[in-house]
Amino acid sequence: MEYFEPKSLSEALSVLEKHGAEAKVIAGGTDVMVDIKFKEEPGSLVNIKKLPGMSGIKENGGSLRIGALTTIRDLETSTLVREKLPVLWEASHQFASLQVRNTATIGGNICRASPSGETLAPLLVLEATGKCAFPEGEKSQPFTSFFQGPGKSVLGAKGLLTEIDVPYPAAGSKSVYLKHAVRGAMDIAMVGVAVMITPDAGKNNIQDVRIGLGAVAPTPVRAPKTEALLRGKPLTAALLKEAGALAASEATPITDQRSSAENRRWIVEALTRRGLEQTWIAATGKEVV
Amino acid sequence: MSVTITTKINGQAVSAVAEASASLLEFLRDTLEMKGSKLCCNTGECGACTVIYNGKPINSCVTMAADANGAEIVTIEGLADGEKLHPVQQAFIDTGAVQCGYCTPGYIMSVKALLDRTTKPTPADIEEAVSGNICRCTGYNKIVDAIHLAADRIAGRA
Repeated sequence: MEYFEPKSLSEALSVLEKHGAEAKVIAGGTDVMVDIKFKEEPGSLVNIKKLPGMSGIKENGGSLRIGALTTIRDLETSTLVREKLPVLWEASHQFASLQVRNTATIGGNICRASPSGETLAPLLVLEATGKCAFPEGEKSQPFTSFFQGPGKSVLGAKGLLTEIDVPYPAAGSKSVYLKHAVRGAMDIAMVGVAVMITPDAGKNNIQDVRIGLGAVAPTPVRAPKTEALLRGKPLTAALLKEAGALAASEATPITDQRSSAENRRWIVEALTRRGLEQTWIAATGKEVV
Repeated sequence: MSVTITTKINGQAVSAVAEASASLLEFLRDTLEMKGSKLCCNTGECGACTVIYNGKPINSCVTMAADANGAEIVTIEGLADGEKLHPVQQAFIDTGAVQCGYCTPGYIMSVKALLDRTTKPTPADIEEAVSGNICRCTGYNKIVDAIHLAADRIAGRA
């Protein structure tokens, strides 16, 4: 195995351009080291952990810019993230163990492109964008069109994610991230659901709603039909029931060692209902009747 | 391919060669013959390999050895002062928090990192600090007792 520790982004990109197909990028290492030990060593390993200027959280007008090498623990302990992007904070807080959070990076969680990646459903409902660097130039890519399948993204073999731009949610909106796992935070999510509701000015109707589903499709996905059903309406008990069932039908889960597909659909239904009810009450102060 | 790793472990400068694919745990145990940090799940789930890396507890099994370059690392071997055990080690003995003992070095490093931050940990702080450590003998209550005792001793309350 060849090993590279590029000192700059441009050096990293030229290493990837030359070795892309057989190279693996490593940052925190909490996923890649497990692959190296239990699957196989890649032809070359490109360690980007110490690339300069790719770590940190800063305000940028109406959004937060998060360096791809920022650790999950840095997100969890950031007052900016907690105040401005509570749904991302919740996902960071429920992310594996303290030891893993101290090492794992948000860029790694995204680029791993696992359907169950803890930060992904929240990033989809926040409508975040990734800054992607390629040998031929830079490109801004919304995460709603970033993922292409388990382990696959628009980055391909030669791209690097350098920064994540997360717009602040609309004033008055409320969000929640609900994770279902057998052993709490340490466990990979069986299902993860992120919900954000923005009520209208009178707090009578849902003006905007976004639902992100994790671990129930080849990529993390939004539930567009369910969102369309809910928009412009008050959240009633009947609508809540209908929305949960529709969200379950929008999921395309698989059966694996963590859960059957059927069980995953039930959980999507339950968590979607729960998430909508919680955010509706938090945003409007009204019960669902 | 091998890499030269220059680092500081338990306050001592160390320079040694390791495979580029080696984990920090393999570097400690196999290259440096420091067997205190334990190899168990090798996937970052059980915490038996926990060391303190630049002040933070991490799983050394899923950290690259190469990332030790320029870092400061504290392992279980670095805690005792000669024959005198670290207060966290002593508290684990005094409360009977050690059963088979395999998880103990990892627990002690997680607890040391916690008590370096605060000597008045809340129940939530304690739960968070050791949530990444598994004791397969399930002696959790006594481990929590040990954490309280160590905190009290370090702060001079006991």
